[in-house]
Amino acid sequence: MPSKVVDALKDSFKDNVTVLSDNGVEDVIVLSDKKLLKEAAKLIKKIHDIVFLITVVDRNPTFEIGYVFSNYVDKSILNLRVNIMQDDLSIDSITSVFPSADWEEREAYDMFGIKFNGHPSLKRILLPEDWPGHPLRKDFKVTDDVRNWTGLDLKF
Amino acid sequence: MNPLDNKENSAGEFSYSGLGDIVFMKAEKFIDTVLNWSRGWSLWPVTFGTSCCAIEMMTFGATKVDADRMGVLFVGDSPRQSDLILVSGTITKKMARRLLNVYEQMPSPKYVIAVGACNISGGLYHDSYNTIAGIDRIMPVDVYIPGCPPRPEQFQDAVRVLRKLIQQNEIKRYAKQSS
Repeated sequence: MPSKVVDALKDSFKDNVTVLSDNGVEDVIVLSDKKLLKEAAKLIKKIHDIVFLITVVDRNPTFEIGYVFSNYVDKSILNLRVNIMQDDLSIDSITSVFPSADWEEREAYDMFGIKFNGHPSLKRILLPEDWPGHPLRKDFKVTDDVRNWTGLDLKF
Repeated sequence: MNPLDNKENSAGEFSYSGLGDIVFMKAEKFIDTVLNWSRGWSLWPVTFGTSCCAIEMMTFGATKVDADRMGVLFVGDSPRQSDLILVSGTITKKMARRLLNVYEQMPSPKYVIAVGACNISGGLYHDSYNTIAGIDRIMPVDVYIPGCPPRPEQFQDAVRVLRKLIQQNEIKRYAKQSS
C-alpha cells in the first residue's frame, strides 16, 4: 500500500525526490536539494506529528542527514535523507516546524559541526561548550591533546 | 624521644596512640591526635555517584554492609557538612568542573575516595575523547577502590584504611599551618 505522504512529496517536488522504499510502513526517500527541506517538512507535518530522530553519517566527502518522522495514529515511519557537501556544512533548521528537532539538531551540531540555519539556540548539548573539534567526524583523531584536555584552570 | 617517631612502637595495624603515649607528647601533637581520632570516626560523605559504582555505594549504606556503624552517615548529602567525598562513576569532561565545584564547597579537612576503574585510570574509557582518565588529574585522592564496580565490602575496607591514615596523621594535606 503506497503511503499518502510519499505521493504528496512526489507531486510537489517531482524530480527532486527519489523514492527508495514505498510500502506505507517504512518509507525511505532521498531529497536531492537541501534548500527544499523546510518546504518538505511543512508538507510532512500535515501527516506526521513528530521527528524523533536525526542521524548524520559521514560519507567522506558528503554528509548524509537522515530525518525520521512518525505519527501517533498508525505506526508508519518516513525516512527522509538529505546529502550535503563537506565544504558547505549548513542546512535549514526544521525546529520551527517540528519542535522536537531542537535537541537533535544541537546534537548533530555538537558531534559533526553541521550548522542549522534558523535554529533558536545552536550550541553544544553533550560536550563542554569550549571543547575543541567535532568528535564523530572521520577526520577526527584522538590525540594526547584531546585526551589531556580538561578545560579547567588547575592550581596544582 | 617522641614515641610517635618509633614505628615499631605502634601496636597493631589500625591502632592509634594510647594514653601512655599522649602524656609525653607536646600539646600541639596532642591536639592533632585527638582531632584526628575524632575525624576518623565521623566521616560524613557526599555521595557523588554518576554511574554503576553508585549502585554499590547504595548497598554500602544499606543494612547488610552497614556504613553507619563506622561513622559514615549517609545523611543530608550537602557538601557543606561533609568530610568525605565518594566519587563513584565515570567523570566526563563536562562533569569535571561540577565535581570540583562540589569539592571546593566542602569544609577542610576533606578526604577523597576514588571508586572504581574509571576514577583510577579511566577504565574502559581511558582512550576516549570525553572522559577524565583518572580523577587524580584534577583533584587529590586519598584512597582508591579498584573494581568494576567494587563490592560493598571494599568500601568498608577503604573507610578503614582512610581512618587509619587519618588517625596516624599520615594525610599531610591539611596539617597545621605553623610548621
